[in-house]
Amino acid sequence: MLPPFWTLVEAHGDELLVHARRLAGDSAEDVLQDALLRALRAYPKLRHADHLRAWLYRVTTTTAIDHHRRTRREVLVDEPPVVAAYDTHGDDFEGLIAPLNETAQAALRLRFVDDLDYDGIAERLDCSVEAARQRVSSAVRTLRESYA
Amino acid sequence: MSPLPESLLESVAAAAVREGLADALYTRLNTPIGRLLVVSGPNGLIRIAFETEAEDVALREVAAALGPRLIGSDAEMRAPREALSDYFDGAPLDLPVDLRLAAAPFRRAVLEELREVPRGATVSYGELAARAGNPKAARAVGTACARNPVPIVVPCHRVLPGTGRLGSYRGGPERKATLLELEGVASR
Repeated sequence: MLPPFWTLVEAHGDELLVHARRLAGDSAEDVLQDALLRALRAYPKLRHADHLRAWLYRVTTTTAIDHHRRTRREVLVDEPPVVAAYDTHGDDFEGLIAPLNETAQAALRLRFVDDLDYDGIAERLDCSVEAARQRVSSAVRTLRESYA
Repeated sequence: MSPLPESLLESVAAAAVREGLADALYTRLNTPIGRLLVVSGPNGLIRIAFETEAEDVALREVAAALGPRLIGSDAEMRAPREALSDYFDGAPLDLPVDLRLAAAPFRRAVLEELREVPRGATVSYGELAARAGNPKAARAVGTACARNPVPIVVPCHRVLPGTGRLGSYRGGPERKATLLELEGVASR
């Protein structure tokens, strides 16, 4: 059974705001507000109650990217979409990370799909914890820059 | 880590209510009998939990009955918050309730009868059993009160044993005594 939605918000809200800030800077609060509403709309349709924290991270990530694209479109109206196949209404994490190299994709999957901490990511990638942290953060940075 | 601003959460809650996305709303209220968790569904208050109860259990109970989209918001729960605060300041309490968490039909009948017992009045377990249609079911009335999902609003603190003692209470006998005192019922 799915836990009451707001218990997730109370448990993970603070760290989601940090995540939104990394992706969207000053727009973080708008992004997170939008992300929580998207998550709420989708919530009853989730088929299982696993990895809900990682799911909220993904919804926040996709919302931040959409936000970047929208703000940019307001400036450059004729710009084609960066990732043509990217479904903004689903939770198409794979489409989102497709432009990145394999190492970066793997790091992001371990962090935001498998919900591993940096110790766990280091073990899976056979690297140091610090290297794991750097891979995730540089992947997030590349992602942000590619959509900004 | 900087905490999430309360205003952001209230904006999400307001938008969720506007869009009809909330299955239930809840708030936490400080009162003379400690902190209360107050949960409201589309038909009225569905659950009130004392601070001695596990919050997550109470919230999951509501989620199982109404759906998982529970939203915490003081602003959206302003009306029941004010009504409850007024009650603790001496006013009568009349808020709509949803008794669906009291699953057994007799228990529900007991709680519905109990709603008619006004502030400051009391009733015995046996008398309440009779009013609910089964004078011999005083023990079942005890169970109904012990599992009352919306204490205070459905006033099981006003149900006393014929012995002149205080009897038991979901929130513990001290809370029962405090509520009765608050309502001006002489403690016995």
